[in-house]
Amino acid sequence: MTARLSLLALLLLPVLAAAEPVSFKRDVAPVLLNNCLACHGPKKAEGGYRIDTFERAVAPGDSTQPGFLPKDHEGSEALRRILSTDTAERMPLDGDPLPPEQADVLKRWIDEGLAFDGPDPKAALASYIPAPTHPAAPEAYRVPLPITALEFSPDGSQLFVGGYHEVTVWNPADGKLIRRLANVGQRSYAIRFSPDGQLLAVACGAPGRLGEVRLFKPETGEMVRVLGMSSDVVFDCAFSPQGDRLATAAADGAVRIFAVADGAEQAVITSHSDWVFAVAWKSDGSQLATASRDKTAKVFDAKTGDLLITYSGHNQPVRGVLFHPEGAEVYSAGSDNKVHRWKIADAAKSSEIAFGGELYKLPAAGEFFLTASAEKKVRQFKAKEQEQVREYAGPKDWVLSAAMHSATKRIAGGTFDGQVFVWNADDGALVTSLHAAPGYAPPTN
Amino acid sequence: MKHRQIQKPLRSRETTLSLIRVRSVFHPWLLFLASLAVVTSARGDEPGLEPIDVGQPTRLEVFPPAVKLAGPRSQMHLVVTGHYADGSVQDLTRVAQFATSSAAVATVELGVALPHQDGGAEIVVAAGGQEAKLPVEASSFGTPRPISFEWETLAALSKQSCNSGACHGSPSGKGGFRLSLRAFDAAFDALTLIREDLGRRTNPLDPDESLLLAKPMMKLPHGGGLKLKKSDAAYAVLRQWIAEGCQADPDGAVRCVKIEVYPPSGRVLKRPAHTQQLCVLGHFSDGSVRDVTDLAYCTSSDNQVADVTPDGLVIGHDRGEAAIIVKYMEHVESCFLTFVKDIPGFVWNDPPTANYVDEHVHAKLRQLQYVPSGLCSDEEFLRRVHLDVVGQLPTIEATQAFLADASADKRSRLIAELLERPEHAKFWALKWGDLLRLTSTQIGGSGVYKYHRWLERAFETNMPYDQFAAELISASGSTLDNPAANFYRTATDTLDSVESVSQVFLGARLQCAKCHNHPFERWTQDNYYGMAAFFNRVQRKKSPRADELLVYMADSGEVTQPRTGKQMKPWLPGKGEIDPPAGADRRDPFVAWLTAKDNALVAKVEANRLWSQVLGRGIVDPPDDFRDSNPPSNAALLDALAKDFAEHGFDRKHLLRVILNSRTYQADFRANDLNKDDAKYFSHYQPRLLSAEQLLDAICATTDLPEAFAGLPAGTKATQLPAPDLAKHEFLKIFGQPERQTVCACERAGDSNLGMAIQFFNGPLIYGKLRDANNRFRKLLAAGKPNEEIITELYLAAVCRKPADKEMQASLAHIAAKGDQVVALEDIAWAILNTNEFLFQH
Repeated sequence: MTARLSLLALLLLPVLAAAEPVSFKRDVAPVLLNNCLACHGPKKAEGGYRIDTFERAVAPGDSTQPGFLPKDHEGSEALRRILSTDTAERMPLDGDPLPPEQADVLKRWIDEGLAFDGPDPKAALASYIPAPTHPAAPEAYRVPLPITALEFSPDGSQLFVGGYHEVTVWNPADGKLIRRLANVGQRSYAIRFSPDGQLLAVACGAPGRLGEVRLFKPETGEMVRVLGMSSDVVFDCAFSPQGDRLATAAADGAVRIFAVADGAEQAVITSHSDWVFAVAWKSDGSQLATASRDKTAKVFDAKTGDLLITYSGHNQPVRGVLFHPEGAEVYSAGSDNKVHRWKIADAAKSSEIAFGGELYKLPAAGEFFLTASAEKKVRQFKAKEQEQVREYAGPKDWVLSAAMHSATKRIAGGTFDGQVFVWNADDGALVTSLHAAPGYAPPTN
Repeated sequence: MKHRQIQKPLRSRETTLSLIRVRSVFHPWLLFLASLAVVTSARGDEPGLEPIDVGQPTRLEVFPPAVKLAGPRSQMHLVVTGHYADGSVQDLTRVAQFATSSAAVATVELGVALPHQDGGAEIVVAAGGQEAKLPVEASSFGTPRPISFEWETLAALSKQSCNSGACHGSPSGKGGFRLSLRAFDAAFDALTLIREDLGRRTNPLDPDESLLLAKPMMKLPHGGGLKLKKSDAAYAVLRQWIAEGCQADPDGAVRCVKIEVYPPSGRVLKRPAHTQQLCVLGHFSDGSVRDVTDLAYCTSSDNQVADVTPDGLVIGHDRGEAAIIVKYMEHVESCFLTFVKDIPGFVWNDPPTANYVDEHVHAKLRQLQYVPSGLCSDEEFLRRVHLDVVGQLPTIEATQAFLADASADKRSRLIAELLERPEHAKFWALKWGDLLRLTSTQIGGSGVYKYHRWLERAFETNMPYDQFAAELISASGSTLDNPAANFYRTATDTLDSVESVSQVFLGARLQCAKCHNHPFERWTQDNYYGMAAFFNRVQRKKSPRADELLVYMADSGEVTQPRTGKQMKPWLPGKGEIDPPAGADRRDPFVAWLTAKDNALVAKVEANRLWSQVLGRGIVDPPDDFRDSNPPSNAALLDALAKDFAEHGFDRKHLLRVILNSRTYQADFRANDLNKDDAKYFSHYQPRLLSAEQLLDAICATTDLPEAFAGLPAGTKATQLPAPDLAKHEFLKIFGQPERQTVCACERAGDSNLGMAIQFFNGPLIYGKLRDANNRFRKLLAAGKPNEEIITELYLAAVCRKPADKEMQASLAHIAAKGDQVVALEDIAWAILNTNEFLFQH
């Protein structure tokens, strides 16, 4: 048995050994993140040792022994503890030992002198490890997932819905599945098309593990780029009206702005003290509005990233945000079950709209905006006049996401129990509804 | 066989190894495994279990006597008890051999019966040459049963303490994740776990990726550290609940209505027997009974004596008693166990007894193998009983007379006499003044005098305790005409009334239940508001007369439980809801229940309070904290005291007389080798620092310089002050005089602190008394008394005895060396005041 294993190892190892030198960002950083972060990260730094940046990983913790030393296995405390046969000190403590091939990566990296190929020794490892290739979506869903993101294609003929490690594409006319778009983060929280319709941005991630925005070509499903990787999910993203920039809102509390053309990170705004749920652009692209679990909504200068105003009127997490069409006010919505309208100049509340449940994002659609909420319906408002146009009822569960296609006059809502409803915006009649979970058979009762 | 994944999870490795080790005693061919276990114990993994000496049981008893396994995930912990010829018992579960007549139907793995298909079979249990058989019946094995949200998922979170007050059960949660404290609010928890933040915490398609599992298992950063292991029963429950799609319970789902813990309280285990497997059964609303041992949360009332593993194995560490509190959902039961062992050198010396108090104390001491100390000296008794009964030191004359008295009954005569002294009523009015929060700020200047006088009269006339309680709780009218009505002045509203009545008269700290079910006790939020329904109609109206408040009852008004919105009927502990007649004062049925002769709790609370006042420690301690998890250290004694108290018409002086006459009260404070570890069972007297008021009075008595309190009649002693805020006194404050903001006995701080030391080192009060021209030793000096006489008087005044030769010689030597006689005497007096003998009641 042992002999056979060694044989197997011998067969495999040369492939690795013959390869190029160990890359920190490609080979080492993922090993550290996957195995050590829980106890040696920003949240918990056992033994005073952290591995969330290169600089910290090689430095000593409370012991004076450095985590890693060039060309010195014994002196590299992290490796020594990983390889230790004494379970009282072997890392990960109380866990299974590191697979030998992962330990070998660390050994080789030490032997090669701890070469660093990341952008900045102080940068979070999570921000520059290679974008993962995500596992395939389930062939058939055993249970449906909450519909946290959906969006119509620019021509209105397709409805893109967030799935499990995928985006599913449905025909909004008959509720039939058209295709499935793979290699997406575990859950999607926002799906956006660029103004020219050429790019599909999906804000996604696995709770507590990874967040990212993936840009795809919508027709082929080819991935163009991954932006804004961090250690928790990305809740929202928004293309600037001109289409040249993409703003993201993430659970790490940061708002980031990227250049769409090359993916360059132009600004990181860390003004919020908790998750940022939503981000919206002003129609001229000069300002950004954000909504956060820190119970505030904020407006920033989109060029400089400077904070312009903070609105604290919700006293509850704020989950949706939108500029008033005239640009001097903001609508924000949250767990206080209200949409507030307030002035950017002085954060004074102008008015509010009450709802029968928690509110989520406030999707804009031409002259309208929509509300998705735990009151189990979608409501449509004229954004300028703040006037309710219609309610779209039918769901038996909370509506978490909504979208509208103006030309085809369709409104869609996604529910907690995994259904998507499509309504006719002219009369509020239900066009179709579907379980956005391929292969899922709803219980018959 | 998919359902099998939730079957009995792996028992902890420790238990398994120790089991092997124990079994190896009987199976020599397993010796190599035993050596493995030794290796393990050398690494410190072994929990220190003694091997079980099976001996020769006369019979085996197995609980439950018949096993019903309904459904594929059912199981049953079996508890095997050996009965022995000498009447003793021990838990043999760890060593018993289990077999079933049909392994196809059911098997027993590590003491847990598991079903495999529908049918009947017989379980055969063998140990120590004895055998017991019990039927097992498996049914509905092929019927899948989804995980219950309430009594499995939430119970699992409670088991792992995820929802404890220190973690996600805190009012603001932790890390943005908040659960209701110990799962008292299932609807709230369902929202949080299933829905909050877009269903972020669970992942039904890949359950192990769920934050709810990955975080406590430390696969992802978790501020609380490692709280869940794959081997925990809770893991299997949570994982399957997630995999089944995170469903809340449907309306009308089966609920747990009560739990039952085996063994019942009272078992005595003698080393080497020191472990006890528990079996916790849940009784459900559909009549079914399920083994919930794995998900019940068990804690010990005294971890020094025993603790309990997550598998429900109680492990005794030391002699003593422990209540194992078992909580499952909102249900709480306890199992009281006594652990004894042979103490080297212990011989029961059969000390005499004065009354039933000593009999009960001695029985407990003998069982736990402590030898009581002998009687204290007359000098010690005299000082002790004075301080306890009247709060004062005896005068020098009283001391000399008592010491000179040669009669055999002089102690009991002194007790009887002191109980009739007016200072007794005043001193006990001070104690009750604390509990009833007598302050002039709350009651008004004249009001507080009247209320205090009412209390004093109650003790002077020896008002029966039931009447005393009734007069306070039923009080109405003007607080000036009926000072007892001030009860509803210090208790400013309905909730304050509930909390005050329950803490003072029921010994129950109920505050927790205001906002949520008590995390560890029986009290639920419904109970709290049910009790409130007795008091919510009490109205309070100010009158034009100064310091007067009018207390009266409204005709209507109901209490709404804030969480459920339900209107609450008046609810009595142990009785349930009642329907008082319309128009009647709702407090009447409460008082009738409270003061009923058969209400053992109320008698116990007061008997225990009286005991704690004179013995320095309650049988239940703290004395106003009666709860399952704080059991009495001598239940038989407390029962006997309460019974005597009730039988004697709740006569407090009678009960005090009984206690004070016991040898237990009169025991020496000096411990012997065979009781020095005891601080709970009254084997010797526990010295304690004099209370602030006693101490000030004692200093005044020793120096013969009374303290003047502004605005109070001359001669008022500190122990006789109606309220602390009438005459604020720095010294009293430093020594722990309570401000009387709460009804908690804990407000009177018993701990010593630096401020106290500084007061005695060079504080203004002591300094002033020592320097005063009219103090005891200066007056004696002025009268031309010899040094020996002055020194003797100082000792008699301060510590009720003459100085020993050594003390006298040292004192005289100091005077000679110092040269200045008065300064030297000052030093001596200062030194005496600084001795433990003076500062402590002993």
